[in-house]
Amino acid sequence: MEEQTTEPLIQLTVNRVVEDSNTDTRIVVLTRTDGASEHFMIWVGASEGEAIRRALDTSTTPRPMSHDLIKSFGEHLGIKMERAVLTDVKSSTYYAIVYLENKGVVRTIDSRPSDAIALALRCQAPIYVTQDVWRRRSGQNLDAWLSKLETKNIGAQEV
Amino acid sequence: MQVKGLMFDPYNNAYIVILRDDDQSEMLPIWVGKSEASSISLAIENVAPPRPMTHDFMKSYLDAFNAKVISVVITDLNEHTYFAKVHLTYADSEYTVDSRPSDAIALALRTEAPIFASESVIRKQSSEELDQWLENLKPEDFGKLDS
Repeated sequence: MEEQTTEPLIQLTVNRVVEDSNTDTRIVVLTRTDGASEHFMIWVGASEGEAIRRALDTSTTPRPMSHDLIKSFGEHLGIKMERAVLTDVKSSTYYAIVYLENKGVVRTIDSRPSDAIALALRCQAPIYVTQDVWRRRSGQNLDAWLSKLETKNIGAQEV
Repeated sequence: MQVKGLMFDPYNNAYIVILRDDDQSEMLPIWVGKSEASSISLAIENVAPPRPMTHDFMKSYLDAFNAKVISVVITDLNEHTYFAKVHLTYADSEYTVDSRPSDAIALALRTEAPIFASESVIRKQSSEELDQWLENLKPEDFGKLDS
């Protein structure tokens, strides 16, 4: 699961989380930090999407949610999240690697992008995608469809 | 405590994790959300999903630096909210981290750490009402979890 590429990574930032009410999934919309206009979209489950949305809103829940707990482990043990990298896509499934550091030792762990992103946002860790995965991303022409979905959802999101 | 099962609670549209002590004299039900229940169910049934779920990721996170979960403790019950602590060892030191019981249980099942409940939590639950409620549930209601 190590990165196969020596090309520079592309840094992404989470733009928003869109509800796809037809399938009860969420679409995580990421944009490039270098200002390029194309999007990177990842479909995730409802609870995974909400975990990311809560981090974007910086809303606090009365009790720590799962990724808050992981962050709390890191704070107690002195483990720092260095970065998340989207490293591969196979059969429409994205793969991510999370880089962790403690006392100069770096370890990597295999992760779903949703967990990697949910934790990265809480730890202010940067999110990257390999050039290869960026090129193979889905949904390049879905901007119109996405805005339609968002218009439709405006009422639902207010609840 | 051992995780005895998971049930769907149609009245609250939530799931209940049933904890029982080893001599079967005490029982502690804990209401959890759907995704938490699903995670606990996967661990009980020892199912390895194709991709690591959040609590598998949590375990990998701790494993990466050899941090060990020693135990988890359900510590308090306050207005229908349960509180738990995760006890860890890492580099010869011990740490205690505040958690929801659902995360603590999902992690304990994956790390084979024991689950404890404080006696005050067991005393606090209005057991009489609960026992009656549980008796009304049919056996078929147990073990059902459609994720």
